[in-house]
Amino acid sequence: MSKQTSLTFRENAREAIADAPLRASMRNAADTFGSKRAAAIATLPDFEALREKASAARLNVLDNLRTYVDRFSQNATKAGAVVHHAKDAAAAREIIAQVLKDHKVKMVAKGKSMVSEEIHLNPHLEKQGFEIVETDLGEYIIQLDGETPSHIIVPAIHKNRQQIGRLFADKLGVPYSEDPQVLTKIARKVLREKFLTADAGISGANFAIAETGSLVIVTNEGNGRMVTSVPPLHIALLTIDKMLPSLRELPTFIRLLPRSATGQAISTYVSVLTGTRKPQEATGAKELHIVLLDNGRSKILTGDCREMLKCIKCGACMNVCPVYRTVGGHSYAATYPGPMGIILSTLLGGLKNTHPLIDASTLCGACNEVCPVKIPLTDLIIKQREHRVSEGLSPTAISAGMGLFGIATKSPFLFSLGERLASIFWPILRVLGGKDVTGRVPRPSSLAFRRRTK
Amino acid sequence: MTTAETIDLLLQSAAKVAAGTHRVDAKEKLQDKLAELVPKGATVFCPKATELEKTVAAHLAGLVPDYLSAQVTVEEVSAAIAENGSIVCTSAGGKPVQASLIPPHHIALVPKEKIFATLDDFFSAQTAPPPTNMTIITGPSRTADIELNLVIGVHGPEKLDIIVV
Repeated sequence: MSKQTSLTFRENAREAIADAPLRASMRNAADTFGSKRAAAIATLPDFEALREKASAARLNVLDNLRTYVDRFSQNATKAGAVVHHAKDAAAAREIIAQVLKDHKVKMVAKGKSMVSEEIHLNPHLEKQGFEIVETDLGEYIIQLDGETPSHIIVPAIHKNRQQIGRLFADKLGVPYSEDPQVLTKIARKVLREKFLTADAGISGANFAIAETGSLVIVTNEGNGRMVTSVPPLHIALLTIDKMLPSLRELPTFIRLLPRSATGQAISTYVSVLTGTRKPQEATGAKELHIVLLDNGRSKILTGDCREMLKCIKCGACMNVCPVYRTVGGHSYAATYPGPMGIILSTLLGGLKNTHPLIDASTLCGACNEVCPVKIPLTDLIIKQREHRVSEGLSPTAISAGMGLFGIATKSPFLFSLGERLASIFWPILRVLGGKDVTGRVPRPSSLAFRRRTK
Repeated sequence: MTTAETIDLLLQSAAKVAAGTHRVDAKEKLQDKLAELVPKGATVFCPKATELEKTVAAHLAGLVPDYLSAQVTVEEVSAAIAENGSIVCTSAGGKPVQASLIPPHHIALVPKEKIFATLDDFFSAQTAPPPTNMTIITGPSRTADIELNLVIGVHGPEKLDIIVV
């Protein structure tokens, strides 16, 4: 499993398909998410109008991103935060490590953050001697097992309760149980101690509000609230595209995000955090560092897939994707799986390192229909496929085949010769190619259509 | 929406997300309600930052000065939003927002004039710069991280009671 990369997607997927417990977990997840989301959407009077509104709001943010980032930075600074700008993953890791060192931090309680996964923050900090404890239940489970998230909202979706029960018994020395209730309470007890003794909290953010310099964090468990308000030092890591102009835009996104993500009308907690603890206040980190990460976003903004940056990371597209549902998140070997992951991963990592992922879509369009901010996901996947051709990264067989076809279509003689050769060599091809060929390519007719009409 | 309708919507929506919902029509009856909800012998934290809190604190048994050691928090919240059955806790006026997070049982007192119908109503009413911490709370803490099975009470309270006064 350790040699899996996005380039070996086909092999990864083949392995995943043979993994019966994984298939069962994914099926359960897809069915549950599908019905919950549908029920939650039905409680909205006009879901379509809300999507239009959200899409327009996000496009406006992208069109004026520089302005909003500057405004956010100014207002957050005014409220007492220290704002850092990181160009890439290495810069962000370095900034965070330096802040931790300056404060002589030993242990960090961490909230769920996909951006921290994107920049491989934990291994970097651990190498420097910091203890990092993931506190979201799903993240805690996979951290115990040395894994990465397989879903952006439910990171341990690929594991069943028996596997989690054995993991807890193994790593925590507790009696085996496969009751989610019991397992959750075990994690509550272990992690409560960590929250209260951590020297710093690291979190992501769902939105950043330009007008007030606030961070908005949407959670269910309460760990996000813990890591941002209990330790004396809070570091928030987010990408620049998370801006919203003002708090007035927030209701639309509060209505859309949890419904699309988990099928809830609203998540248990929506925290709006603005700056540091003021005199006479009893809540809030005493010091707040906000790391605004670019890591390729400015470049994506100037390209033909810029609409990808409208994404609010709800995970709805992966829940409905027939490929994701079958192969699971780890097959992509990328931080972000599923339809949004295919596009974002190729944009961030370059097609050269990721291009087999763009075949991980049937282009059925289910993702387009559920996206709360109306990203034309399949159009963007097709664009990436075009880029693969122009960058010369197509698989050799396909580009050779297309090349020959191109030559043949220019010459009637070669074209009819090709037709005849195809019929003649078909039996040989069947034997050589086996089911892979005969299953997909129809047998050439002995009488070509264009000759029948003569 | 009339006040009565807003209160109904708040309590119905809150009940859907596993919050306990209660109404008292006179402040005097609040003591009885609290006596019913706070378990006998429990340690209780009350911030005593508002008039209402000061009044109820005078009659509460088991008061402790610190939320960290409390089993129950009884507090008046800053606002409520009927749309989803939410309450809003903020750090304004020196209140510790963690008191609604750390003790396992949270009892929120909601004066009926502090209820907003929708999220939009609530956010458009926020004219001053926001306080350091403003948290919209909807039901007790929960997770579905194990096989998407809903479990109530992860890192935050296992029990939330809302009393409209």
